[in-house]
Amino acid sequence: MKLGGILRFVRRDSRGSRGSLVFFVACVAIGVAAVVAVDGVARAIDAGLRSRSRELLAADIAVQGRQPLPAELDAAIARVAPDAERIDVRELATMAGALSAAGDVERSRLCELKVVDAAYPFYGELTLEPAGRLADLLDASTAVVAPELMSGLGLAVGDTVRVGGADFRVAAVVLDEPDRLDFALVLGPRVFLSSAGFDRTSLLGVGNRVKYRALLRLPGNPVEDELDRVKDELDDSIPATVRLRFETHFEAQPGVRRGLERFASFLGLVALLSLVLGGIGVAEVVRSWLRSRTIGIAVWRVMGLRPREILVLHVAHIVVFALIGSVLGAVLGGAVPFALPALMPDLLSADLVESWQPLALLRGIGLGVGVALLFALSALTAVWRVSPALVLRSDAEPLPAPRLVRIGALLLLGGGLFASAWIQGGRADYAGWFTGGLAVLALLLFLGARALVWCAGVLPRGRFGPTVAHGIAALARPGVGTVGAIVSLGLGTLVVTGMALIERRLQSELRGALPENAPSVFLVDVQPDQWEAVERVLADGGADRIDMVPVIMARLAAIRGDTVASLVEDRGDDDERERGERDEGDRRPRRWALTREQRLTWLDELPDSNRVTARLAANAADDVLWRDPERDEISLEEDYAENLGVGVGDSIAFDVQGLEFEFLVSSLRQIEWESFDINFFVVVEPGALDDAPQMLLAAARVASSAEDAIQDQLVQSFPNVTMLRIRPILEKVADLLGRIALGIRVLGAFTILAGVAILAGSVGASRLRRGNEVALLKTLGVTRRGVLQLFAMEFALSGLVAGALGAAGAYALAWGFLEHVVELEADLPPLGFVLAMGLTATLAVTAGIAASLRALRARPIESLR
Amino acid sequence: MTSRRVECRGVGKVLPSGGEQLTILRDIDLAIDAGESVAILGPSGSGKSTLLGLLAGLDRPTTGSVLLDGEALEDKDEDELALLRRGKVGFVFQAFHLFANLTAHENIRVPLDLTGVDGSAERATELLERVGLAARAHHYPSQLSGGEMQRVALARAFGPNPSLLLADEPTGNLDSKTGERVLELLVEMRERENTTLVLVTHDPAVAARAERRIVLEAGAIVSES
Repeated sequence: MKLGGILRFVRRDSRGSRGSLVFFVACVAIGVAAVVAVDGVARAIDAGLRSRSRELLAADIAVQGRQPLPAELDAAIARVAPDAERIDVRELATMAGALSAAGDVERSRLCELKVVDAAYPFYGELTLEPAGRLADLLDASTAVVAPELMSGLGLAVGDTVRVGGADFRVAAVVLDEPDRLDFALVLGPRVFLSSAGFDRTSLLGVGNRVKYRALLRLPGNPVEDELDRVKDELDDSIPATVRLRFETHFEAQPGVRRGLERFASFLGLVALLSLVLGGIGVAEVVRSWLRSRTIGIAVWRVMGLRPREILVLHVAHIVVFALIGSVLGAVLGGAVPFALPALMPDLLSADLVESWQPLALLRGIGLGVGVALLFALSALTAVWRVSPALVLRSDAEPLPAPRLVRIGALLLLGGGLFASAWIQGGRADYAGWFTGGLAVLALLLFLGARALVWCAGVLPRGRFGPTVAHGIAALARPGVGTVGAIVSLGLGTLVVTGMALIERRLQSELRGALPENAPSVFLVDVQPDQWEAVERVLADGGADRIDMVPVIMARLAAIRGDTVASLVEDRGDDDERERGERDEGDRRPRRWALTREQRLTWLDELPDSNRVTARLAANAADDVLWRDPERDEISLEEDYAENLGVGVGDSIAFDVQGLEFEFLVSSLRQIEWESFDINFFVVVEPGALDDAPQMLLAAARVASSAEDAIQDQLVQSFPNVTMLRIRPILEKVADLLGRIALGIRVLGAFTILAGVAILAGSVGASRLRRGNEVALLKTLGVTRRGVLQLFAMEFALSGLVAGALGAAGAYALAWGFLEHVVELEADLPPLGFVLAMGLTATLAVTAGIAASLRALRARPIESLR
Repeated sequence: MTSRRVECRGVGKVLPSGGEQLTILRDIDLAIDAGESVAILGPSGSGKSTLLGLLAGLDRPTTGSVLLDGEALEDKDEDELALLRRGKVGFVFQAFHLFANLTAHENIRVPLDLTGVDGSAERATELLERVGLAARAHHYPSQLSGGEMQRVALARAFGPNPSLLLADEPTGNLDSKTGERVLELLVEMRERENTTLVLVTHDPAVAARAERRIVLEAGAIVSES
C-alpha cells in the first residue's frame, strides 16, 4: 500500500474516532510539553551562558587561586602572552557597617567584597547609579555597593560605610555586574573597593578566605584554540603543587553548566514520567479504540486486507495522532523558556536565556512519537487477533499474534523506555533505576488496582444504596480500562504527594528552630589576642555554648615520605574532579586532595558528632584519641583519607608557613556534618602546632533577637572578624530547595494531568456503551440527575482507589527517603493522605463527567435501536 | 463451458464450547459452478453462516477441503487468503457492516481502491446510481435507512466485479417490503454481471429466488433441490 493511500485511510478513518483520539493527543501533548519545557529551559540557559561567556568571565582567560597568585604566573604571562592586559581581583566575605552620628557602627551586614583594578571589567557592562565609569568613581576613599546593602543598612549615595575597620564614602550603587550569576547562592550583597581602598582596611592579614583572580584580555579577539594553547602553556609553567584554576571564556562557566546539566537530567526524568504515564493512557485509548473497531477490522479482512496491512494502517494512524499531540506539546513546552524570565525575574535575567531552542522541540517530538508508539504497539498486536469470521459469528476464534510479535512488543517497550530515560537522564544507571523503579511501582499499583477491582466484584452490593452499588459494579466491570486509569492516576498522585511530603518536611526542618545544641553563629578569622574580648561580647549578648578552636592553614607536604610534588607528577594531568568518579582500583591520591589548602586544628577530644572508624592497634582498647607518646599523631576524616590513599599507621607531613611537620595517622573518623558542630577533616594532637600562626574559629548559640547587636559590636570593635549567621543561610537553602521543589511539583502536576487525561480517555472511549447504558437507565425511569449521580459515584470510587494507592506509595517513599536517606524523623501528616485521596477523587469525577457529557445526553428511544 | 467455482470436500467444523467440542458442520460435500446461484437454507444454528465463512476462507475447516477456483484454501496462509479474497469475493451481511466513518461513496470505493481499479471514484458514482442512491453519495451510514444501507453494501460488494458473491441473510434486518426490493436488486445485479451467488437465509421465499437450494440441518446437508 502506498503512502498516499495510507494517509488517505488515516484521514477518512479518523473521522469516527477523533473524539476518543482527542484524549490520545492530550496524553501525548501533556508529556511532551513537560519534556520540552525542561529540555528547552536547560538549553536556553546553557546557550545563554555560552553566548555571554565572555561577559560572564569578564575576561578571555581567568586564573583563580586560594593563595596570592604566585610570581611564576607573572613570569609565565609575560612569556606566553606578553601583550595580554591584566586585572587582579580579590573576593572575600566580610562585614559592612553603617555608622551612627557618633561614628559607631549601628547596623551591619555580611557582604561579598570585590577588590578590583580600574580597568575592570574587560567585557560586559558594570551598570552604576549614578551612571559613570568605575575607574572614575572608585578611589582609596570610596566604595560602590549593591542596592540590597543600601537598603539593609539604610544608606544613601554619599553616606559612609565601614568595611574592615576603614570608612568609605558610597560613590554609587551597582545595579548589574557582568560576571555575577543571578541564580548563584550568595552570602551577601556586593561591595566594590579599589586596591588602594582595600589596603586601608584591616582585612589584609585575613588572607585565608580570599579568592585571588587574574583576568586576562588578549589582543586580537583570539579563537578558542589560541586561548586553549595560552591556557595550557600558563598551566604548565606553574609548579604542579600550586593549585590554580585556569578557565577560558569558551568554557562558559563549566561549574554552573555542570550543575545545570545535573539538575536538568533529574527534572528531565520527572518530565519523562508524565510522558510515560501519557504512554499508559495511549495504550488504554488505543486498546479501547481497537475494541470499538473490531467489526470494522473484520470487514476489512473480509475485503482482502492482510493482517500486516491492517497493522501498518493502524500504526500510521497512531503516528499521525502522536505527531499531532507531540507538536502541540512541543509548542506549549517550547513557550516556557520564553515565559520563564518574566515569571522569575529575580532568578533569570532575560538576556541570559536564549529561548528559541528548536533542538529541544525536535527531541520532544521524537520522544513523544516514540513513547506513544511503544505503548501503542503492545495494544496493536491485538489487531492480529481479529478474525474475518467475526463478521458472521461473534465468537469466532481469535487469531493470536505470533508469540514473537507479542514478546517483541514487550521487550521493545522496556528497551524503549530505558533508551528514553537514558536520553533524558544522560546516564545509563539513572535510566536503569528509572525504568526498573517505574516498572516496580506500576506493577504494585497494578496489583493493588486489580485486587481492589476484584474486591469490588465479590462485595455483596445489595447492602449499599443503588448509587453506591452501581458505582461498585461499574468498578468491577471487566474491560473498561479502569485498572489502567487507576494505575496512571495513582502514579501521578504518588509523585505529587511524595514530593509535597518530602519538601514540606525538609522546609520545616530548614526554616524551623535550629537543632537544640547547634550553634547559630560562627565567627571567622578571630585573632588569638582578640579572643578574650570577643568572648566577652558574645557572653554579654546572651550567647551560650560558646566554642572556639584554632585554625591553621597548611598544605600537604608528603605522604609516607613521598613529596607531594612527586605524587602530583605521578598523577599526571588527569584531574579526576573534572571527570567525576575515579577509575576502579586507582589507589593513587587525587590531585585536588594533594594540592588543596587545608585547615587544621588540634583537639584533645573529638566532638560528639565524630565517630572513630579505625584506629591504631596501640590505642584500640579505649576511647583516648592520642596514645603514642613518641610521635605527633593526626586523625583524618575517612573519605579525605581515602582520597589521599592513606590509612592508619601511615605517615603524613604538612607544610605550615614554610615549616614541615610530620604526623602518624592514628585514627580515621566519620563526621555527622548536619550537627553544625565545628568539624575538620584534619585534627592533630595538641602541642605539635601550638606556636604556628593561627586564627580562631568560634561558634555560639545566640537568640536571633540578639544577633544584630552582637554583630554590630563586633564590626565596630573587631573589623577583621566575619560573623556568619546560620539562620539566614538556612533560609537561603530553603528558598533554593523551594524553587527546585516547585519545578518538581509543576512537573508532577503534569503526571496528574496525564492521569486525568487517561481517565477521561477511557471514559470517552466507552461513550457508545455508556450512551446505551444511559438510554436504558432513562427508559427504566432514572432521571438525568440520577444518571449523573451513578456516573459520579463510579468515577469517585476509581479516584478514591487511585488516590489511596498513590498516597500509600507516596507515604512509603517519603518515609523511606526521610528516615533513611536524610535521616530525619519522618513525621508525616496523616491529613495529607485524606487530602490526596479527596483531591484525586474530585479530579476523577470532574474529568469523568466531562468526558461522558455526550453519553449523558442519550435519549431513551436509543435503547430501542 | 461451465467451470467449478467453489467446492467443498468432506468439510467438517468443530468448535470448542465450554470445555466440550461442538460439531457445527459435518461431512459437507458441495460443488457450485460459475454463474450459479445457490441458496443455503436452514434454521438458526444449523451451520449456514459457518459454511459461508468457510467458502470465503474467513475460517478454516476442521476436516476436509474447500476449493475456490480449484485452489485448496487450507494450503494458504492468512495473507494469501486475504489476497485471494481481494476483488474476487464480494460479501453482503445481514448487519450491513458499512464503515460508519465513511460516506456511502467512500464505502463503495474501499474495495475498488484495494484492488487498484483506475477511476474508482467514477465507478463508485456509477454504482450508486445503479442502486438508486446517487443523491446520497455524501451521506454517512447513520444518515441512511436500513434498506439504503444494504443497497450501498450491494454496490460495495459488486464494485470490483467479484466472481463469487456471498450473502449472509441480506434481508434479515429489513422489513419485508424493503427486503423484497433489496433482493430484487441483488438478483438483477448478479444476473447482469453473471456472478456466482451463494446466499444464506432461513426464509424459503428468499431462497426461492436462487436456482438451487441446499437445506442444512444440524450441520449436515439434508436436501438439495
